[in-house]
Amino acid sequence: MSWLWWSRVIALTKKELLQFSRDVVLVFAVAWFFTAEVFIAGSGVTMDLNNAPVVIMDHDRTEASREWISQLKQPYYNVLGQAQSREQANEMLDKGDVLGIFDIPPDFQKKLLNQQQTSIQLQLDASNIILGTLASSYSGLMNAQYNQKWMLKNMKIVDPDSIQAPIVEERQKIRFNPEGKSTWFMPISEMMTVITLLSLFLPAAIVVREKERGTIEQLSVAPLSTFQILFPKILAAEIIILVGVAVCIFGVVGTVFQVPFRGSLWAFFFVTMVFVYAVSGLGLFISSVSRNLGQALMVSFMLLMPMLLLSGAWTPRESMPDFQQYLMFLSPLSYYIDIGYSIILKGASLELMWLPLLEMFGLGTILFWFGLKQFHRQFS
Amino acid sequence: MKWSRIKTVAIKEVLEIWRDKLYLSMAFLIPVLMMIVLGFGMSMDVEKIPFVAVDYDNSEQSRDYLHRYIDSRYFDYKGMKAHESQAEPLMIQNKIRFILVIPPGFQEKLLAGKRVQVQPVIDGLFTYQSKVVRGYVSSINADFNQQLMRQWLKKKRGMNDNDIEALLAPVTLETRYLFNEKLSSLWSTGSGMIMLVMLMAPAVLTALGVVREKESGSIFNIYASTVSRSEFIIGKILPYVVISFVNLLVLSWMALVMFGVPFKGDPVLYLVASLLYVACSTGIGMLVSILVKTQAAAALITMLGTMIPGMMMSGLMIPVNSMEAGAKMEAHLLPAMYQLNIVWGSFLKGQGWPELGTNVLILALHACVLWGISIWRFRKRVKA
Amino acid sequence: MSPVIEVKQLSKCYKKQPAVKSIDLTVKSGEIYGLIGPDGAGKSSVMQILAGVLSYESGEVKVFDHILDSEMSAEAVKSRIGFMPQGLGLNLYPELSIEENINFFADLRDVPVAEREARKLQLMDMTQLTAFRDRPMKNLSGGMKQKLGLVCTLIHKPELVILDEPTTGVDPVSRRDFWEILSYLVRHEHMTALVSTSYMDEAERFQNLSFFYEGSVLAQGEPDSILDSVEGWVAECDCEEGLNIIGELQSKFSQAELIGKTMRIVAYDVTQEWFEGELLGLLQQHGVSKTVEIRPIELEDAFIGMLHRWEKQKAGDGEFDFGQQDNAVNHFDESPEFDRNAVMIEANELSRHFGDFVAVDEVSFNVRAGEVFGLLGANGAGKSTAIKMLTGLLKPTHGFGQISQSSLERSGREIKQKIGYMSQSFSLYEDLTVHENLKLYGQIYGVPKSRLKQRIHWALQMGSLQDEIDTLAGSLPMGLRQRLALGCALLHEPKVLFLDEPTSGVDPLGRLQFWEILVALAKLKGVAILITTHYMSEAEHCDQLALMQAGKVVANGSPISLREHIADELGMVLSIKVDYPYQALDVLRKNGFEQVSLFGRRIHLFSLVPDRILNQIKKVLSSHEIEIHDTRKMLPSLEDVFIHFIETHAEELPDASPSRVAS
Repeated sequence: MSWLWWSRVIALTKKELLQFSRDVVLVFAVAWFFTAEVFIAGSGVTMDLNNAPVVIMDHDRTEASREWISQLKQPYYNVLGQAQSREQANEMLDKGDVLGIFDIPPDFQKKLLNQQQTSIQLQLDASNIILGTLASSYSGLMNAQYNQKWMLKNMKIVDPDSIQAPIVEERQKIRFNPEGKSTWFMPISEMMTVITLLSLFLPAAIVVREKERGTIEQLSVAPLSTFQILFPKILAAEIIILVGVAVCIFGVVGTVFQVPFRGSLWAFFFVTMVFVYAVSGLGLFISSVSRNLGQALMVSFMLLMPMLLLSGAWTPRESMPDFQQYLMFLSPLSYYIDIGYSIILKGASLELMWLPLLEMFGLGTILFWFGLKQFHRQFS
Repeated sequence: MKWSRIKTVAIKEVLEIWRDKLYLSMAFLIPVLMMIVLGFGMSMDVEKIPFVAVDYDNSEQSRDYLHRYIDSRYFDYKGMKAHESQAEPLMIQNKIRFILVIPPGFQEKLLAGKRVQVQPVIDGLFTYQSKVVRGYVSSINADFNQQLMRQWLKKKRGMNDNDIEALLAPVTLETRYLFNEKLSSLWSTGSGMIMLVMLMAPAVLTALGVVREKESGSIFNIYASTVSRSEFIIGKILPYVVISFVNLLVLSWMALVMFGVPFKGDPVLYLVASLLYVACSTGIGMLVSILVKTQAAAALITMLGTMIPGMMMSGLMIPVNSMEAGAKMEAHLLPAMYQLNIVWGSFLKGQGWPELGTNVLILALHACVLWGISIWRFRKRVKA
Repeated sequence: MSPVIEVKQLSKCYKKQPAVKSIDLTVKSGEIYGLIGPDGAGKSSVMQILAGVLSYESGEVKVFDHILDSEMSAEAVKSRIGFMPQGLGLNLYPELSIEENINFFADLRDVPVAEREARKLQLMDMTQLTAFRDRPMKNLSGGMKQKLGLVCTLIHKPELVILDEPTTGVDPVSRRDFWEILSYLVRHEHMTALVSTSYMDEAERFQNLSFFYEGSVLAQGEPDSILDSVEGWVAECDCEEGLNIIGELQSKFSQAELIGKTMRIVAYDVTQEWFEGELLGLLQQHGVSKTVEIRPIELEDAFIGMLHRWEKQKAGDGEFDFGQQDNAVNHFDESPEFDRNAVMIEANELSRHFGDFVAVDEVSFNVRAGEVFGLLGANGAGKSTAIKMLTGLLKPTHGFGQISQSSLERSGREIKQKIGYMSQSFSLYEDLTVHENLKLYGQIYGVPKSRLKQRIHWALQMGSLQDEIDTLAGSLPMGLRQRLALGCALLHEPKVLFLDEPTSGVDPLGRLQFWEILVALAKLKGVAILITTHYMSEAEHCDQLALMQAGKVVANGSPISLREHIADELGMVLSIKVDYPYQALDVLRKNGFEQVSLFGRRIHLFSLVPDRILNQIKKVLSSHEIEIHDTRKMLPSLEDVFIHFIETHAEELPDASPSRVAS
């Protein structure tokens, strides 16, 4: 790799960046992805129980029942009121107007005062599993609080801290995102998705565009090796993506959503660089099978979908079926997600993450070699 | 409008798709692949959460407490660590999601009838999962407490079982899960994917179909001929409606067989609604293809334009009722929400015309509007 | 009878970029009207507007007395029009068979089934497509695609057909057939045809034509009247020392070029006496005493003359002097010695198969230093594939190619340093400026920094690009773009230059300048040039030619030897201008002259005994009261050569060439 070798690479890389900067649509698209897209995803989706509509069938209508109901407060629940009849309540549930029906029995207060056990029925629409799970979990917690209050009352204890009984108190400690903010999780997840999409698509687009215009032949005829032709394109994609990431972190993730960056910024950039390289092989593969930009985009999306799903960007690894967990080893994104989250939110250092980093690099090298082979094959 | 000309356009389209094996296989394979990947991939089941324990007490009681976690199907025990500092890196490396720390003197204090504190450390990275884990931890802990209290109250106060229960848990909450008794993710998001996949795939397929003709130049045959706008649009879109309808049936079959989702509703309604729905999604593709010039733009716009609203504004992730006003309005303007009502209504809820009739009607309206705008916006005499 | 098409003051813009600038056009019923001009001249826009598929800004457009000013009004005439857009077969459906394509077009137009079948058979017979009716369109040759396109356009018996560049890139035989069929139909079905072309030599085919350039019409009318409107003279002489004096000739006369060993000098707007006097004087000054033949210019030269005038007008005050400004020879000051016998490019039984398809079949030839070698053929004949193998882009299936005696495969990158390559459609980076493009290519080839500056300056001079340094390559006109691409390919001073269809779509003036540069490059710098083209008229510039058809070389030799060979075999071409060409054609065919063909108002035929035949024809025509205006005797054109060799499909060649002719 002589001086001439590098000067050629630099000239070609500069050319790619210059071309990119003049392609208004592409610049706009990349800017959009790194800012607006991340912003929308971060502010849009909250996988939380939010104003879930419920109705009550209070057959008791006493102070105790009202007290129980009063716990169902916003932001979790939105109590629409009392249902007139069983039929009406069921109809609302069927139509999806309400998520659940709380059915309080007529002798609710009486039993409580008599120190007897009583029960409230909750019918939950579980067709949406997220809501079903959360609603059940929250109402369970609420009921437990209510029970504790009654227990203390029945035991005539005023100060709950003074009771002396063998109780295990769980002081849950939520690490890294104590308030469970979706606005911390989603923007990072989306940013990594965008990085993946672009590191698939940008090298592919750059190469396909040269193919479309026939300039790739011009380069092939020149005294350049295949690697020397392709390397600057990947280098350019790296630079564009890293700049995009910087904009995204400083402009959106860090400022708008106030996500704390706990690890080293340099470490994250370094990992991102390795990741872009790891995926670029697939980008070369895409460019070798597609004839125009439209096809390249289609194939990118087709590859992106399984990569995303096998990445753990939406669901943690352990929640997946076994076969999928094995397939995850084939997706460079799964390593990147692992390392990326850890660096940003968990403050991990590279010493802790060297193994997945090495694995990602190894996988990337295999993919790159594969992409290079494919690229070669299309010409012969 | 002449049926013979519609037929001519449609037959040509079918022949072209049929002979282009790559395009044909994409048309049928992509939806199936998406269904598998998305159905299995968007798993919301929170199970087998990997965790380690740090048991400073190492007593009978502490082991008893720990075993309640180990035995739970929700947790996956990854071993014991001597100190928290050894467990911490594992969590940073995403190898575990939860650390249970049992303090020294755990057994001693409990036997002495004193309160003791444990510290479950939960990884808050995945917000939804961590919320669910919190619930699991609380309920396991509460169970353990009840047992402790029961023993203690019996011994101390000599209360009987019933009284103890009434004292400890005066109100029990009996939750019944309707429509999805087993809280299966596949039943819920899995079947919901029929809606999402059949929004995206037909739209992209149709959009590429027309833009292809624009790029190759064969659209000039249409421009220069006497075929009317509506004849062309309808003839062009019909094959895609048929392909997409077949795909939708295949996906529904996959939901039934692969995901094991029950079908409780009215098959006729479901078929009618499905046909209308693919008419909508192909209509979206048609509309996009009329407005853009290149396949790249068509693919990008239809994908982004259907994926995000389909996922975010259909009720699949967030219920429409809890959306903000703007998003809520958008949800009502898109066909996705109605189809999701129909899919879940038909599969899970066993609903029929009385409950879902309006949804079907609105889908029909959507289809008419989308096709109508396409016909109206299509120009046989272009500007450039 | 009112005209079929009447256009007044038509203007059309694309995003404020004017494409058609206030043109007038009248097409009478029953004629073949031509729109002629380079790419981007506005022909396609006009045709699309007339077909009712494109809107326009201002002017009045009448077709069949209907004013086309809205989509509604356009619909009213569409049933009477057949429109074939640009791009060979691009409007057809590749997956559908010939018959399915035709049926689709017919059914779309509501042709009743019985009528459709009859018409289909008639048209397929005429175009010789019947035997292939079940073949998918994507597997057809270029010529067949063109014919199928024509059939599809004609299936509903339109009264007006609008054909946008139907002959571009088609082999000469198919082109000839196309004109035969078109003129037959126009004659027998009372059709009117509007046809566009970028081949200047097709101008004579039209009864009337409009010459388009940069959105304006430079000339309009019958070919002969256009020819008459430009006064000009051509002189040709064989001259060994051509290169030494051509610079001076160029500064003196409108145009001077070297075609092989022949010098061709053109002067516009001067008298014959003046021209003869000046020319002979100048030649004598340089001690050249050769016979010079002076004759009036032909149509192609007339077009170039008009372009000269147009450019002059644009430059204002007549300051613009073409010859002065673009004297290519001046840019090649250093003339190193080179060995004229050194074989620089060698193709040895070069073959390439794609699956079952043989793209190039055992092609062999040599190109020596200082030689311009032309590879001729239609689209899909295998020219580009051959070039790609020689430049190392493709591996040959068997056979081999060598560049300056070293194999591409073994020596690899060092060899590449010696090659300059300009691929189809001038592969420039359109979003980079002229300077950025040049700099990039210089850096890729590792031209040292100090030298690079010099070379870029040279390339800018050579291509007359000095004023466009910071213009994006994509917004340059075709001619400049082409010279920029050439500049890029020459920055590293290659010894071998490959040019793949470098001139398609470029205006004739631009092509002329381009060839000037190439010839100078070969003769002065000893560069071996391999060029492909489908413009037969350009091939005259080459020292050696190889004609390719379906992957095989069917003939090779120097242009003049090929033409003389045909003249020996078939005779000279007789060109007769008559009053009523259609009747004349019928009469002659009935009287035993079956080989006659129609070129506008002229009738062409081959004859070994031209004078005797001419007398016979005169007799026959006068007995039918058809007047003969004038007659010419011409050497067969290269197009005739090509047609002959394709039809006889390879005979023994006149000269002992290295190329083996496949049988």
